[in-house]
Amino acid sequence: MSEQRLRINTESVVHETVDGELIAIDLSGGSYYSLAGSGPAIWSLLLGGATESEICAALARTHEGEPEAIRSAVSDLLGQLLESELVVPADGAGATGSPAPAAAAEKAAFEPPKLERYTDMKDYFLLDPIHEVDTAGWPKPAA
Amino acid sequence: MAGQALPATPLRDLAGEYTRALGERFECAAAAVGERRHDLELAGLRLRLIFAGPALEEVLLAPFAHLAAPAPAAAELTIRIFDGASTGVEAPPPTWPPLEAAPGANPTARLRSDAACVLAAAGTGALTAARPERGEGLFFLPDATRIAPIERATPLREVLQLLMAARGRWFTHAGAVGRQGRGVLLVGRGGSGKSTLALSCALAGLEIAADDYVLLEGGAAPRAHALQSTAKLTADSAERLGLDPAAIDPAGFEPALEGPAKALVDIETLAPGRLRRSLRIAAIVAPHVPSVRSTLGAHSATKVERGSPGAAKLAVRSISAAEGLRAVAPSTLIQAGLRSAAWLAALGDLARAVPSFALDLSPDPAANAAAVEGLVAELG
Repeated sequence: MSEQRLRINTESVVHETVDGELIAIDLSGGSYYSLAGSGPAIWSLLLGGATESEICAALARTHEGEPEAIRSAVSDLLGQLLESELVVPADGAGATGSPAPAAAAEKAAFEPPKLERYTDMKDYFLLDPIHEVDTAGWPKPAA
Repeated sequence: MAGQALPATPLRDLAGEYTRALGERFECAAAAVGERRHDLELAGLRLRLIFAGPALEEVLLAPFAHLAAPAPAAAELTIRIFDGASTGVEAPPPTWPPLEAAPGANPTARLRSDAACVLAAAGTGALTAARPERGEGLFFLPDATRIAPIERATPLREVLQLLMAARGRWFTHAGAVGRQGRGVLLVGRGGSGKSTLALSCALAGLEIAADDYVLLEGGAAPRAHALQSTAKLTADSAERLGLDPAAIDPAGFEPALEGPAKALVDIETLAPGRLRRSLRIAAIVAPHVPSVRSTLGAHSATKVERGSPGAAKLAVRSISAAEGLRAVAPSTLIQAGLRSAAWLAALGDLARAVPSFALDLSPDPAANAAAVEGLVAELG
């Protein structure tokens, strides 16, 4: 059975990486997130269309760390990202983005990814939701 | 056979159709009650406001009076404005399902196409339509005499957001203050102390472009451009600033989601000569009430005594660019309803271009203003 491929939920999520930390804003739910440690690298691999095992392999090539620790950290993060709907299952198979990174001459220490969720803007969001309209009316219910 | 394109299915451009129809209604309204033209310079661009009749002119124009400019040969941006009650011309019927608005809420229906965007706010009844690339916008209210506080506090905000974003000016939830044309962006969610801090600075003699919303222009030397000349204050903030709450325009009170109602004050009246059209931005500053949980991370519990000599230095601490982005981006994209990746990228560019600081607010507005002034001076 082939591995499930995930993709960033670009319909609802905008993101920006600054200073080694990724900020992701869920525009359909009103929460926002900070992703640090190896999180931005994992996010970048997801953007490139990598599966969980491809992400683990890529991180093992570029980072010092126990493969099992890397695998466990990646699995935990993907679970959190799915639960928060920052990522969703991708249709079809095959990488669509940048290739996996080559082995680094000098490997960096593996830092577990750290995802933090902030909900202090949620009330504002829920008060003034934006409903997108298409030719069929509402394409989806308001968040 | 590979690569053969399927015949394109023409899609209805609902946004474009509605924008055209609203524009035709404006022409009817203007024919009925006459046109009134006003030219402004906003964020370095020539903007012409054309009102159908006087009903919305006074209330929407006054906050932009400081941006008045001579009529150019051709304006880069034009916004046509009318209301239904005074002109006898209503907006075209909506082509979208009705939205229910709970008291105090303002859900919005949005129609978008490549060329046009329509925003219909159920709470205030405001209709905004724009063709951003052409620099053309429309704004309609059912009744100018029943204008919602938010339309008075931040007039034309959605149509300006659409037109300005197409020209690289990003409507940003932030204040801006400084000295000699160079200053800092004050960022944070509603209730974080931006407005009170910005007005403290203006009262202390600093220049001010805005207390709550600016147009941010990025690049190597980012700038914050002024929008309206009004600021929002709670009665408590007014008292702390030494202002008489009774002197504040009672019509401007806007029920706040959290905390007490806010009133509109005119910055030029409050701090004559301090209002600026634009400030070059040298840093992001996130004010923070030490007793309130913050997203700015752990910090040493610095107590700033009222009027203490070291207050200016103690209150300001450096934070990462990511923390700076986290302080400005969610409130701009979520609270201000600006929900696009390009907006976040522009704010990310700013966070990379200038340093970020947190300012632990003191109960003493003068000490806070001194801390900002010290930082501006230090940044050179």
